[in-house]
Amino acid sequence: MSPAPAPVSSPRAALRDPVLAPVVVLLWAAVALFVLYPVTRLLALMFWDDGPTLAAVVELVGSWQHRRALWNSLALAGLVGAAGTALGFAFALLAVRANLPRWVGTVLDTIVLLPLISPPFTAAIALIFALGPRGLISYHVFGIAGLNIYGLGGTLLSETLTYFPIAYLTLKGVLANIDPTLEDGGFSLGARRWRVFRTITVPLAVPGIANSFLLLTAASLADFATPLILGGTKFPVLPTQAFLQITGLYDMRGGAALSFLLLVPALAVFVAQRWWTERRSVITVTGKAGAATRVRSLSPGAVAALVLVCALTVLLVLTFYLLIVFASMVRALGADNSFSSAHYAHVFSGGLKAIRDTLVIAAVCMPVGGLFAVVLGYVVARTRFPGRRALEFAAMINYALPGTIVGIAYLVAFNDPPLALTGTAFILVICYVFRYSLAGTRATTALLAQVDPSIEEASASLGARRDVTFRRIVLPLIRPALLAGMTVLFIRAMTAISATIFLVSLSWSLVTVRILEGITNLELGQASAFSVMVILLVYAAVVLSSLIMRRLNAGSLGQAGTLLGG
Amino acid sequence: MARALLFAACVLLLPIPAWAADTINVYTAWPESLSQPIFKAYTAKTGVPINFIRLSTGELVARATAEKNNPRADVIWGAPGDGFAAAKAAGIIEPYKAAGWGKIAHELKDPEGYYTAVSKNTLLFMSNAKLLKEKGLKPPTSWNDLLDPAYKGQIQTADARTSGTALTRILSIYYAFGKDEEKAFDYQKKLHANVQVYTKSGGGCTIPAAMGQAMVCIAHMPDAMEAKKKGYDMLTTFPREGVAAVIEGVALVKGAKNREAATKFIDWTFTKDMQDLLDKNEVYMLPTLPEGSVNAAVQALMKEAKLLPVDLEWVGKNRKRLVDRWINEVIKE
Repeated sequence: MSPAPAPVSSPRAALRDPVLAPVVVLLWAAVALFVLYPVTRLLALMFWDDGPTLAAVVELVGSWQHRRALWNSLALAGLVGAAGTALGFAFALLAVRANLPRWVGTVLDTIVLLPLISPPFTAAIALIFALGPRGLISYHVFGIAGLNIYGLGGTLLSETLTYFPIAYLTLKGVLANIDPTLEDGGFSLGARRWRVFRTITVPLAVPGIANSFLLLTAASLADFATPLILGGTKFPVLPTQAFLQITGLYDMRGGAALSFLLLVPALAVFVAQRWWTERRSVITVTGKAGAATRVRSLSPGAVAALVLVCALTVLLVLTFYLLIVFASMVRALGADNSFSSAHYAHVFSGGLKAIRDTLVIAAVCMPVGGLFAVVLGYVVARTRFPGRRALEFAAMINYALPGTIVGIAYLVAFNDPPLALTGTAFILVICYVFRYSLAGTRATTALLAQVDPSIEEASASLGARRDVTFRRIVLPLIRPALLAGMTVLFIRAMTAISATIFLVSLSWSLVTVRILEGITNLELGQASAFSVMVILLVYAAVVLSSLIMRRLNAGSLGQAGTLLGG
Repeated sequence: MARALLFAACVLLLPIPAWAADTINVYTAWPESLSQPIFKAYTAKTGVPINFIRLSTGELVARATAEKNNPRADVIWGAPGDGFAAAKAAGIIEPYKAAGWGKIAHELKDPEGYYTAVSKNTLLFMSNAKLLKEKGLKPPTSWNDLLDPAYKGQIQTADARTSGTALTRILSIYYAFGKDEEKAFDYQKKLHANVQVYTKSGGGCTIPAAMGQAMVCIAHMPDAMEAKKKGYDMLTTFPREGVAAVIEGVALVKGAKNREAATKFIDWTFTKDMQDLLDKNEVYMLPTLPEGSVNAAVQALMKEAKLLPVDLEWVGKNRKRLVDRWINEVIKE
């Protein structure tokens, strides 16, 4: 493996660093306790049944549906990664390279966020009502009856629409950090637009593209809600199989085995991404000011094509969510479409506690997880501390495993004294922090890959300690990553369910659980009203955090700080 | 700042607020709308508060199994019989014969008293009236009606790996075909050709059928009745060959921390007082206590139904095999 871009110190020096060493020890301790320990408990459960046993593995290898599920998962994840990244890249290009009026960017950001911030199940169910056999779009607009959306097609479409905003957010930050003067250089040397795009813009965006591919692929590998509703029996995937094995066949051992099988592709993607991004230098933030020039890297034709693709996507997404808003405001969707405020009345009476609990937990998750993410990202990208790769690797295990498994592992690990955390809000916070910080870590490493370490070296050679350099030099530079990481954490805390369904307790409830309840209980209106509330709350938080960030960030990183619109 | 953080940490680490001496913690698979009024009625009567979490049956059993060494729940109340069979096998419930146990019919309880039926449930065909009319079809009244090519891609029903409803369906077909397993599976393979999708939750096909995404949904009785109550134009019919009568049960959690309060609550479950609530609260299931009053709508519906008794012991032993067979023979393509 080639060395990381000129790390500041050697492995030996890193071990002696008075600030770095304790920080790394702390990170390891946290990861060991909240990631490795529960996973180990689950492994023990898997291979121990009054004595060592391989029954779970034997059964796993012998089952046709599990074999098929593995291939389906890989195919789906690859397709979602590619399709989502392509779509996200199109949106990012349009947002930062097309010289569109500012408000277009804001509108794009606002709508594009919708799928990312809505609770699971909601998008999949909206898809059924929009594109199903009697769907609003498929049947009532285009007159196509009997469209089958169950299987690969529907799952792919739903997951792509759900996850492409991650690609968009990642790539927008990366593209915005590419100095347009580099492209200008290409133009003045006589290159045509396509050549500049191919040889300058795209190569510089490679870490972002690889990152977003990784994030999307991993998200798809771990997603169980969408295939649960849209996959049907024809398209089994590993996370749903694991879920079914545990909750349907009451076979925790088999479910755990299936989940660990999932780790293999997840880690392969991780290694591939590492190899790819480290091969080339992509430093564009050098401390040397670039002249502000007019971006002209896209031809009018290309802009028109991008607008078309993005407009169609936006239209589709909007239809889904208008359906949900509509369902929340009528008595019973499809049966009695007269206006009713009953569902919201329920949200503001019986549902208020769940909303409050969720907000408290999300608010605690943001700073804790955000800091954890950027510190981890920094240690991995900028130090030569021994075992930093292993640390990063270990930290992503909870993200790669299906939520059901993480939830059960936490339950098994933290139910008994001295670590009896079940029933407290703490376990929910911990679960989110160690499951959803990956986005922030990734954003940090991707951003740092673009920042010349000589800036930090200058600080160090002026005598600043590592923590001072981190606080005064690195942190301001990676604020967009911190912001992205915290926002993703908040969004996940507001919308995740698969792991937390096992961790909610009598005293701490979650909105998503109420939504799932509404869906299983035929209370489509209530579920929709809760979903709308979640979406509004997350929007409010996103806007607020981006305003605060902009204030903090004034002038330091220009538009890269406005990852989330405005 | 530091003090604020410390305070926050304390609040977060606060365990479930100091238990009142007599509090009962319940895991239920029944929707809140059905379970909460019943728990509230008990609290109103006795002053004993009931905390509950609603989970799907599989999640409930998985959770209770993971908590086995330090149980958080005292009672599992309102979950289908197959869940209790699994809970018994996992060793997370213990036998308790409630005061009214003797009055409950033999086929409605575990012979050793591990679990007892709170109510009796069954399944039916729920059809979208508008779609049937468009195709000029009558609602299905026989299992064989569903094999009509007119229903191709128009039937939704539950996945046997996740849903107790699916097990009820498999059992219904087994008993309807005279306990001839070969015939029953032969039939299910043919039915598979007409199925649009197998949903993960038992009631998962209700809304799609109500919204016209599918013509027929094979689901449990309460789901269908709720949909009709909401105003969806649905027709409910039974197959004349019969449907299996399944149970929704209650059990005491092994090592329950509030054992005494829990057993009193289970005793109350088998009083006329509680059994009448099924009717009053429109739970749309049949009471298991002979003197419990039956909801008028359920009674009207039941006139057409031929309920086939289920051998709980046989189901407990064969459930996994039946589901495996369904996976390997019916849905394999």
